[in-house]
Amino acid sequence: MNDMIKKVTQLLTDKTIDVFIGYGKGSADRSRAIFVRTAEQAENLVFSANCTQNLAGYLLKHEVKHLGKLGILANVAALRSILQLASEFQIKDGEVLVLFANPDGSFTEFLDFHSIEGYLLTTETGITSGEQERIAALEAMSVSERWTFWNQEFEKCIKCYACRAACPMCYCHRCTTDVNQPQWIPVASHERGNLDYHLMRAMHLAGRCVNCGECANACPMDIPLNLLTYQLISPIKAGFGATAGMKSDAVYALSTYKPDDKENFII
Amino acid sequence: MSRIGVFVCHCGENISATVNCEKVAKITGELKGVEFSTDYKYMCSDPGQTLLKEAIKEHKLDGVVVAACSPRMHEPTFRKACAEAGLNPFLCEMSNIREHCSWVHPKDDLTTEKAEDLVRVMVEKVKKNKALKSIKVPVTKTALVIGGGIAGIQAALDIANCGHKVIMVEKLPSIGGHMSQLSETFPTLDCSQCILTPRMVEIAQHPNITLHTYSEVESVDGFIGNFKIKIRKKSKSLDEHLCTGCGLCTTKCPQKKIPNEFERGLGFRPAIYVPFPQAVPNKPVIDRENCTYYIKGKCKVCEIVCPTKAIRFDQEDEVIEVEAGAIVMATGFDVLKSDYFPEYGFGKYKDVIDGLQFERLASASGPTQGEIRRPSDGQVPKKIVFVACAGSRDPAKGIEYCSKICCMYTAKHAMLYKHKVHDGTPYVFYMDIRAGGKMYEEFVRRTIVEDGTHYVRGRVSTIYEKNGKLIVKGADTLMGGIPIEIEADMVVLATAGVANKGAEELAQTVHISYDSYKFFAEAHPKLKPVETNTAGIFLAGACQAPKDIPESVAAASGAAVKVAALFSNDELTRDPLVAVVNRQAAPVYSACVGCFLCQSVCPYQAIEREEIKSRSGEIIKTLARVNEGLCQGCGTCVALCRTKAIDIHGYSNQQVYTEIMALLND
Repeated sequence: MNDMIKKVTQLLTDKTIDVFIGYGKGSADRSRAIFVRTAEQAENLVFSANCTQNLAGYLLKHEVKHLGKLGILANVAALRSILQLASEFQIKDGEVLVLFANPDGSFTEFLDFHSIEGYLLTTETGITSGEQERIAALEAMSVSERWTFWNQEFEKCIKCYACRAACPMCYCHRCTTDVNQPQWIPVASHERGNLDYHLMRAMHLAGRCVNCGECANACPMDIPLNLLTYQLISPIKAGFGATAGMKSDAVYALSTYKPDDKENFII
Repeated sequence: MSRIGVFVCHCGENISATVNCEKVAKITGELKGVEFSTDYKYMCSDPGQTLLKEAIKEHKLDGVVVAACSPRMHEPTFRKACAEAGLNPFLCEMSNIREHCSWVHPKDDLTTEKAEDLVRVMVEKVKKNKALKSIKVPVTKTALVIGGGIAGIQAALDIANCGHKVIMVEKLPSIGGHMSQLSETFPTLDCSQCILTPRMVEIAQHPNITLHTYSEVESVDGFIGNFKIKIRKKSKSLDEHLCTGCGLCTTKCPQKKIPNEFERGLGFRPAIYVPFPQAVPNKPVIDRENCTYYIKGKCKVCEIVCPTKAIRFDQEDEVIEVEAGAIVMATGFDVLKSDYFPEYGFGKYKDVIDGLQFERLASASGPTQGEIRRPSDGQVPKKIVFVACAGSRDPAKGIEYCSKICCMYTAKHAMLYKHKVHDGTPYVFYMDIRAGGKMYEEFVRRTIVEDGTHYVRGRVSTIYEKNGKLIVKGADTLMGGIPIEIEADMVVLATAGVANKGAEELAQTVHISYDSYKFFAEAHPKLKPVETNTAGIFLAGACQAPKDIPESVAAASGAAVKVAALFSNDELTRDPLVAVVNRQAAPVYSACVGCFLCQSVCPYQAIEREEIKSRSGEIIKTLARVNEGLCQGCGTCVALCRTKAIDIHGYSNQQVYTEIMALLND
């Protein structure tokens, strides 16, 4: 830990970066994101087993971005977020300083996208077995059962949009939800509007979701939102051989056509 | 408040038989914003259009809904009429109450109600319509013709004779295509080479035509009037300016046993070769895969003997970029080889040949100097069997279509055989004789009656070799299906005509659609037979479907006229129904976040990058921008854009939403 504090202090002192996004102590035994701007603040950095938040979600936030050159403490999901954002032309190589937190508490500095890509090939990036089980359970349901399940879940939604704010891929300046001329997605948190919103969100993340699970973590109503987007990961991999956030120059699977694409979805 | 006019057409009885047009006009006339409504027997007729124009002027209409047929039929008619009356044409919309209503429902009050709904939807849409300006794009008056067979040659000559420049690309070392391989042509039996070669020479000599042989199209960008094409000129290992075409190198080349593609494997050629004596250009190329120098690193006999020192072993492929306003696809077809057929021996019997091989045998310039001799031992076959529909019309082989040319060329083959082997006996196994065409049926009759060819209606089940003879087993279905067995000396399979190898990749390269058989697809099977769905790209010849020579030539001339018509204008006027990226005030500038996922989804490469810079030149934001010339208004980007930053003129989100709401809020 001290290594990291030392490193961040040095980076800030020699002006390599202006702000470092890392973990600090939160309420109770939780951690929270902190934005370190001075050497003194670097002392507040912590790292422990419960520092799991995908901090990449902050990279494109206007309030953070205008602070200057960014450094970030990344986990696997954040690394993938960075590559996915790069493939969508939101981050350029070298623009963000990436420190990667190894499970043993040490850290590695990634100098470019290429080294991140190399690292991701050697590490586990998929969804956990627990999540796989939950998806399998969902897929085992009949269509009407699944419809009921999700409607019951969405009924809880209070349209706080925390899922949208937490998602590293929801970086649009103007979300479709906020478009009111015409208003395709009703804003009030009633049954129909909730369903429209969540389906839209899932479809907008199809082929882009890096399975960090921040949407579900952020949800105050405990809706398992991550399952919606996770469920789209394997069909896209099976159909088009693409996994989001593995290459900085990847082309989006759902917007490209290849002659050998399977077209078995065409009835 | 809008002042919209509604014009309900009876279309004779096409609409009025099931829809109460007067009632539709009356009810929709009461809608908010509708100033005027009427019905008329034929709105598209001259008096109908006059009625529309008068009403626009008299009632000062600011929008028009014509409830009639599909906009694909008459939208241009009515938009033009509106323009003539001083109304922006894009404030006129059609409501399709014929195909979408009167034709598909019985006479009923509900049918009339549906027509009213359809009109109401369009009235609401027109309220949101904006006056749009047509887009003008310049035209490059050069045509690219891909393929130098008879279709490509005809199209190129026709276009060039209209005074336009033509660039012809042929992938083989010579133009001429399949027609140059043929012996005689049906139904007149004139020599194929004799009628083709003058045109090949004309291509080479025409001042308006630039010929690139041994070249392939690598990429096509751009749009109608303004295509940018990259052509890969494969290295011929030869300085064409120095080469005089004396042919000395081809006689001295030590490699002499390379199967000759032009002779369809029945003869041999050297590694440095001219495909056939009348080739255009008549200059050799080195086939690097088979050249001793390229394989072993030494030889260079051709270089030594060349009197003008024209051989260039280190020559590399050259990629040139050309601009063209139109493209004619004339890449032709291929025929299946005999190894496609397990029941006929997978090509292992040398004397089971395909139709093109027979053409070479019958050709005076062929491997046997025009004598019909079988490939195995050079004997003259006394009994020969022609099998029509080898592969064609056979769903089990995946070729459900009729290859169309085989009935005629099989009859020609049988006739040529009898002309050359007087004591020979030709048999033809056929399913049906399809001889539609001028003088075609008469030709087939001649083969049967005058030349005594035995036509057997039935299919051949198997062919096998026994004591040097080919045993052909089939059935005669006109004799009650009795089995027939013929001991033949040679068998000719009229194998199916199929799309050329690489047709699918080429279609994707030039961005045109193709059918399930990989033949290029026309825009409309009846009314747009030489157009593709991509504006400015036309089809000629057998790349579209199997075609005989007269048909290929006719299609090529048709395509040439389309090109000439396009080139008769200096500028093209396009409908402005294109996508547009939303723009708004600083500091947001646009809802576009510059993810450019639209760029890869666009089938027309119409999405460009636009950088918004501050006064000091610093890039503030990078946005997508739609190139109006390239955009075809397909709307795929609109569907993909997460922020709804892209909209499409004439079909905006707002308009579609309004239409849906108009239906739901009935």
